[in-house]
Amino acid sequence: MEEKKQLTSEESLQLIQQMIQIAKQEQKDDGKGWILWGWLLFAASVFTFINVRLRWVSTYFFWNAFGIVTICFLIYGTGRYFFSKKTKGTKTYTGDLLHKLNIGFCISIIFITVAINIGILSPMVAFPLLVNIYGFRILIHGATLNFKPFVVGAYVAWLFGLIGLFVKTFDWIMLTHAAAVLCGYIIPGHIANNEFKKTKPMTFNTNIFSV
Amino acid sequence: MFKDLDPILHSQLRLAIVSLLISVKEAEFTFLKEKTNATAGNISVQINKLKEAGYIDVIKQFKENYPQTICKITPAGIKAFELYVKNLHSYLSIDVNAKLNVKK
Repeated sequence: MEEKKQLTSEESLQLIQQMIQIAKQEQKDDGKGWILWGWLLFAASVFTFINVRLRWVSTYFFWNAFGIVTICFLIYGTGRYFFSKKTKGTKTYTGDLLHKLNIGFCISIIFITVAINIGILSPMVAFPLLVNIYGFRILIHGATLNFKPFVVGAYVAWLFGLIGLFVKTFDWIMLTHAAAVLCGYIIPGHIANNEFKKTKPMTFNTNIFSV
Repeated sequence: MFKDLDPILHSQLRLAIVSLLISVKEAEFTFLKEKTNATAGNISVQINKLKEAGYIDVIKQFKENYPQTICKITPAGIKAFELYVKNLHSYLSIDVNAKLNVKK
């Protein structure tokens, strides 16, 4: 970009618009996190459903496996956060808000997980409660980024959470949990990922002034 | 009313930098360089001009032994940018009115 160029008022407005558009692109969600955690949660729920029916291994085997995977990701994520030299280049208010939302979400999930493991909260209640927290996070995420599939996904997830409260057996609780994750995490995550792939990285385009 | 446009902002690269910074909390020098397609030398000069005008804050630090320059827009910068856009609008409405008069 050359500095000496004298701008007309139209060019100035075009330039401002283009730069704001470039900055907005930095706030787009690639959906990868939702896809990864969505499929992990979905697999744990569905395999637990099948396991309860067919009695392969102990009831919580797949959730314990999920827990181990989560701990591995936490260690990897913490290491990357502290030791990675690569930076994103920008900090946005939206990014900061979503980061804090994620911290709050993780703490809430840990609370419920601990409550299940020390036996003071029945999994029959805990899973609908977990879905309730998923819904809250998905809604705020979708509303903040103004991305409708997440907003819709949050309401559908809540619906399955509510259904879960009235379900009488653990295997069906697992299915409502899987359905909530499918609608709240996986489908919106894939939509976000497709949209992200479609958007090409923008840089300043001097051609806007050649018209 | 017809108002003068802020000369600090009424320049292609400085306006691009401020427009980027208005949309984010802070941005690294490398990000600004990449998104504006400007050379490091040119962008450094323009960042200094904006800093001297009090429109942006520049934080120089080290991250993992590498120098890192972070730019943030200041409240004065936000105010100047808002005023600049407001003045641009008055220019544009004058332009449109002039064109309409010519057509008549």
